[in-house]
Amino acid sequence: MTEAPPNGNAGGLKVTDIVGGYGNQPVLHGLSLDVDPGTLVSVIGPNGHGKTTLLRAISGQVHLRSGHVFLNGVDLSGRTVDAITAAGIAHVPQGDLLFAGMTVYENLLMGAYLVRDRTLLQSRLDQVFALLPKLAERRNQITDSLSGGERRMVGIGRGLMTGGQVLMLDEPSLGLAPIVIDTIYELVEKLKADGRSILLVEESPERVVDFADRIYLLDNGEINWSGTAAELSANDELLSTYLGV
Amino acid sequence: MSPETIAQIALTGLTVGAMYALATIGLSLIWGSLGMLNMAHGVLLTIGGYSAYAAVSVAGLPWPMGIVAALLFGALIGLLLYFGVVRWMVGTANFETNIIIASFGVAIALENSVLQIFGGQPFGQPLVMRGAVDAGLVSIPYQNIIIVVGSAGLMLVASYVMQQTRLGRAIRAVSQQRDAAGLMGVPVQRIFLVVLVFSGMLSAISGVMLTSSTQLAPALGQDPMIKAFIMCVVAGLGHIGGAVAMAFALAMIEAASQFWFGARWGFPILLTLVILVLIVRPAGLFGRVSITRL
Repeated sequence: MTEAPPNGNAGGLKVTDIVGGYGNQPVLHGLSLDVDPGTLVSVIGPNGHGKTTLLRAISGQVHLRSGHVFLNGVDLSGRTVDAITAAGIAHVPQGDLLFAGMTVYENLLMGAYLVRDRTLLQSRLDQVFALLPKLAERRNQITDSLSGGERRMVGIGRGLMTGGQVLMLDEPSLGLAPIVIDTIYELVEKLKADGRSILLVEESPERVVDFADRIYLLDNGEINWSGTAAELSANDELLSTYLGV
Repeated sequence: MSPETIAQIALTGLTVGAMYALATIGLSLIWGSLGMLNMAHGVLLTIGGYSAYAAVSVAGLPWPMGIVAALLFGALIGLLLYFGVVRWMVGTANFETNIIIASFGVAIALENSVLQIFGGQPFGQPLVMRGAVDAGLVSIPYQNIIIVVGSAGLMLVASYVMQQTRLGRAIRAVSQQRDAAGLMGVPVQRIFLVVLVFSGMLSAISGVMLTSSTQLAPALGQDPMIKAFIMCVVAGLGHIGGAVAMAFALAMIEAASQFWFGARWGFPILLTLVILVLIVRPAGLFGRVSITRL
């Protein structure tokens, strides 16, 4: 059985005017963005301004008060988290949230929880191991005993195992040493080169500005600016005032 | 101390340990996946015992139906706990404390229903096998053999389900990282339901075994429930294998101290040991203090 390529479906991810948050306090105030198939879109913004909440809202972990999330034209808003995963959103959460008592291999298997077909499962596993050979070496190790960088790789590998059409990465550089961050970003670039649709959240623009197709600046739960990486680099005023570069 | 004494203590410890272990699994499973201290656990044991009694002694069905009835009612109480309480409370603030009170309420209601239907007088459990086999040092009642073999079998089933099946992986995933489990496509709510039903069935069966060596009374589940709590805490909450090992170890210690110091000392000595263990290892013998690193 062969899978459709990750960018095979037209439409991509479309978020329109979402309002949502925790309790009575909305964190997202009517936010819209698009991830076209095969592109890497990055949302940049300071901590505590709703980047993580945005991803959690898309994957159904945060209740939407209004607005919609479309994947390939299908409205996912209001569905449960597992149904949204099944529909094709792969969310690699901040801080990895690995299954700490399980081995690397079991964590990856959990990623493919919805896959019943063994050949498909094996082919996804082969893909992940080819992309992240380190995980193949460590496959029988309990994830608790891994280094921060290796844990991040398990988190991303597990997300890839879901086979989602849009991959959402929440601050993949968080808490890692600069040299490890380089490795992780080489991986992200490889994923982009494979033609995947990626929604990447980061605090600082320096890591993404070189290869993001489109950048959104998030401030206080609203999109302040959006444009291409080149437009952002050219906009000295924006860089200095908004991002303090 | 004579070899006969040691053999007798070992036999008692093994039999009681098997029952404790089975009762502990259900409790540990629910704690692990839901973070719920199930105060209705004891009444599940009670209802297991009474269902078998009602099916066999009252309705006159053949004995295997007693086991079926216990499984059925155990599952039913699991459903009741989910749809009546857990479903509405899970994920809300202070779930872990509120659910103790809520499940305690369910327990009181169910225990009093048993009292209302069957009355307070004790009954004998019909699923008993009389007779014994002479094993040299001690004579082993068939009933003890059935309890030990039956519990071991059920524990093997439970461990197979948890370790080897897709469902077991999903249950472990939900216990270890609920949010991530959802993101992998695990229907978390349905897993809660399955865990409550599965634990209900295990507990009801252990109630049948428990009452086969004692008597049926509406409050029969309370003492084993407290012991099951103790074993889970000593082992480290949520650690099922550890809880089973603890069940056997503590049952042996209880049997030995009852033999040497008299029946009334069994429980106090057990509790003293438990307190000592928790002073040295607050997270339990097998429990890990959870560490988070970036």
